Amino acid sequence: MIEKASVLIVDDEEMVITSVRAYLELETNFEVHGFTEPEQAVKFLESNLVDIAVSDYLMPRMSGIQFLTRAKQLQPEATRVLLTGHADKQSAIQAINEVSLYQYVEKPWENAQLLMIIQNGIERAQLLRELRATMSELSTAHSSLKDVQKKLLKAFL
Amino acid sequence: MSQPSNPPEFANELEELRARADSLATQLAQSYKMASIGRLLAGIVHEINTPIGSILSNNQVLYRSLELVKSALANGDKDSLAKANRLVETCLSLIAIDKIACERISDVVRGLKTFARAESSEVRKADLNQQLQDTLKLTQGEFRQRIKVETDWGQIPQVECHGNMLSQVFLNILVNAGQAIQGEGKITVRTRHEGDSVHISIADTGPGIKPEDRPKIFAGGFTTKAVGVGTGLGLALSKKIVEETHGGSLHFESEIGIGTTFHILVPIEQKKKAEG
Repeated sequence: MIEKASVLIVDDEEMVITSVRAYLELETNFEVHGFTEPEQAVKFLESNLVDIAVSDYLMPRMSGIQFLTRAKQLQPEATRVLLTGHADKQSAIQAINEVSLYQYVEKPWENAQLLMIIQNGIERAQLLRELRATMSELSTAHSSLKDVQKKLLKAFL
Repeated sequence: MSQPSNPPEFANELEELRARADSLATQLAQSYKMASIGRLLAGIVHEINTPIGSILSNNQVLYRSLELVKSALANGDKDSLAKANRLVETCLSLIAIDKIACERISDVVRGLKTFARAESSEVRKADLNQQLQDTLKLTQGEFRQRIKVETDWGQIPQVECHGNMLSQVFLNILVNAGQAIQGEGKITVRTRHEGDSVHISIADTGPGIKPEDRPKIFAGGFTTKAVGVGTGLGLALSKKIVEETHGGSLHFESEIGIGTTFHILVPIEQKKKAEG
């Protein structure tokens, strides 16, 4: 990993956050941020960079889809995963289409599978960010090259 | 053309038809009961899968942690012992979570069991506050996202009743209330001891029942819901259970734009019915 990975978990059930956190802290060195209120998770995203956002589907006031939509607007590179006990095809399709979901995981989840998804999701987000940074460096380099070229042309003509 | 049947044969036939009608009514009630559970199934599955997910995950973490604790103890140096201590703390918190998760599952199962009991249950003393709480557990998953449930449990005596049948009435009225509320809203469940009855009221903040629909809502087969959502049998059956089976009363008040409140009155003691 290029930097310490940051994982955001949103579930109105405290027990899910506690369990996933305990597992990730045992097996990885990821920073885990858990919220039972999606509104607070949105606030967190406004000022903290995360690599992956894992959200429950059925929550009071704000659904998982609504939350992940906000997450996508705030941090488009962060990977989005839905972790849901509500096994319904409709919500899966909606999630995939509307928030360009990376993975849809059903409860009860398998720890090893969840870990793999989270690891791959983090790698994906960090690669995307790196790509974006490299592209912007490239475009800065390109425009400064153009400046040099202009100056050279001026000097010779 | 056949000869008209003679009186004894006719009586036999009538008896048979009556028995068949009775068994069909029982079957109908049974399938209605199953349909109302079916409507809540997605919510119930959600309610159970979440704690199961936690328990399974915790089990793995506990196992792995204990292995680590074991090797830390074998090392015995200061750092290892500190690490073992931290792991034990994590284990303790996960065990506490597992207890809550197991209780959550057994709550839902207890709610389901109330319905699964045999139809021809005996009259028994029941705590209706408890039964309402068990029934609310079943709707929790369905309501979670948009409906706030407020409860006001009165000091009520135990009631002689067919508990499973009354739970079916409660579930039916709660599900109706939930379906009536479009978007977000509130359901208020209240119980009171009133004279020789227990009074249960279930109020929703839905749009209210249209005046022209009000006289029809207890009629079997009447529904304002879409195909596949309502059977039009729930309230007819509920009225029958409360009034004919228990000698109580089921009525409602409704105001457009404000909501609807159903009142269920159940006598505390069942009069011994004369066998007819």
